[in-house]
Amino acid sequence: MIRIGNASGFYGDRFSAVREMLDGGDLDVLTGDYLAELTMLILGRDRMRDASLGYARTFLRQLEESLGLALERGVKIVSNAGGLNPTGLAEAVDELGLGAKVACVTGDDVRSRFPDALTANAYLGAWGIAEALRAGADVVVTGRVTDASLVVGPAAAHFGWARDEWHALAGATVAGHVLECGTQATGGNYSFFTEIDATRPGFPIAEVHRDGSSVITKHDGTGGAVTVDTVTAQLLYEIGDPAYLGPDVVSHFDTVRLEPHPRGVRISGVQGSPPPDTLKVCLNFPGGFRNATTFVLCGLDVEEKAALVRRQLEDAVGSEGLTWTLARTEHADADTEETASALLHATIKTTDPKRAKAFSRAGIELALGSYPGFHVTAPPGDGTPFGVYRAAYVPRGSVPHRVVLPDGEVVDV
Amino acid sequence: MKVPLGTIAGARSGDKGGDANLGVWVRTDAQYAWLAGELTADRLKELLPEAGEVVRHDLPNLRALNFVLRGLLGDGVASCTRFDPQAKALGEWLRSRHVDIPEGLL
Repeated sequence: MIRIGNASGFYGDRFSAVREMLDGGDLDVLTGDYLAELTMLILGRDRMRDASLGYARTFLRQLEESLGLALERGVKIVSNAGGLNPTGLAEAVDELGLGAKVACVTGDDVRSRFPDALTANAYLGAWGIAEALRAGADVVVTGRVTDASLVVGPAAAHFGWARDEWHALAGATVAGHVLECGTQATGGNYSFFTEIDATRPGFPIAEVHRDGSSVITKHDGTGGAVTVDTVTAQLLYEIGDPAYLGPDVVSHFDTVRLEPHPRGVRISGVQGSPPPDTLKVCLNFPGGFRNATTFVLCGLDVEEKAALVRRQLEDAVGSEGLTWTLARTEHADADTEETASALLHATIKTTDPKRAKAFSRAGIELALGSYPGFHVTAPPGDGTPFGVYRAAYVPRGSVPHRVVLPDGEVVDV
Repeated sequence: MKVPLGTIAGARSGDKGGDANLGVWVRTDAQYAWLAGELTADRLKELLPEAGEVVRHDLPNLRALNFVLRGLLGDGVASCTRFDPQAKALGEWLRSRHVDIPEGLL
């Protein structure tokens, strides 16, 4: 059995989780997921400003605090915090000077095939991570590998799985899917939260077995809960067809069996089949600029108030690219001002940054000359660039999945 | 009895590019038999009128249904002007809708 924990479900998750997971009990591997479609866009903008950025900086600060502890306990660290710049992150981890053996998985960046994209990253699988761990790495940082690969890689390395052990790979993928969003598996964002203590859920752990089955659990003494229901909730997160496509295996979610276990929930029975010949690519294109504001419409004549401010704002900046929604949250004859108020949301999307900025100026200029009771929930800012997401698929063979081992050797995966 | 669906059903929703997904599950076999019959893709669209094209996938092993709401989020979270651009609370919205649930299942 290999005990794989998770300490991050997104870039911005609980900072202290790395230390808590290392301190809180036994682990073999600690993983952290920092990437999402939106995160790639945010990192893409970081990279535009400074080519040495493009990775999740909080991860480096977490390691600054806890890498010594991980090395002392013999816990391997595996994370996709490398984002758009895994090599840069690996160098930064080296520079922490703790003597950790650091490996780095690369090749996901396929911008050369999508020259108009701000970011273009193929979802790589688990085998680069497995190769790095087999070579003795203490820390493995990657770019865009699938979230579940962070669990599949360590399990595959530990058990020496072959690349066609579909059922074992699928079982570990399901365990990885449960772990990838951190506390969403342990009672966070959980429909039946009133039945548990959801104040501070512990982060999840998968005890993965040789056949790919697993027990989902968490450290003793941590909050939240691991039950068939909390795990079911996370299994249903961000999935589509029950045949869940991944770069290493297709995992059939309609074969997953869950049952209560003394330490949490046992997952078994998962069937796997060979993966497609293509890899999915996450693309973010520059979309233009957006700005938004929310007008508060209190009391009487809500529709007319909305129509007036809309007419005024559109006279000032034009109606093109504006979206309006009126949320009728007001109650008649209400005994609080807030519950007497409706909310009118206005959003502008435009290719012209000046127009996005003019939107906020126009909104503010109305302050003394619009509907009675005019105010906004927050003053509009200058507007921000936004991205447009697309998925694409490329032949597997066209993506140079590589791992740079701690001794500098580069291995094709 | 007309009660919120969430009286017996849990849900979790999220985004995948421009699509949203909404997983709904219940906790007994009898509840699942009812849910699978009641909550067709068309019925989901009645309960959530903002939904456009809806595809339903059944996961009887988890007593769950997974709905994919195609195109609900346009060009993805960064571009989407919809309230709740990542569809995080779509599931809780569904749970709050009132439906006729047989009393024996409550």
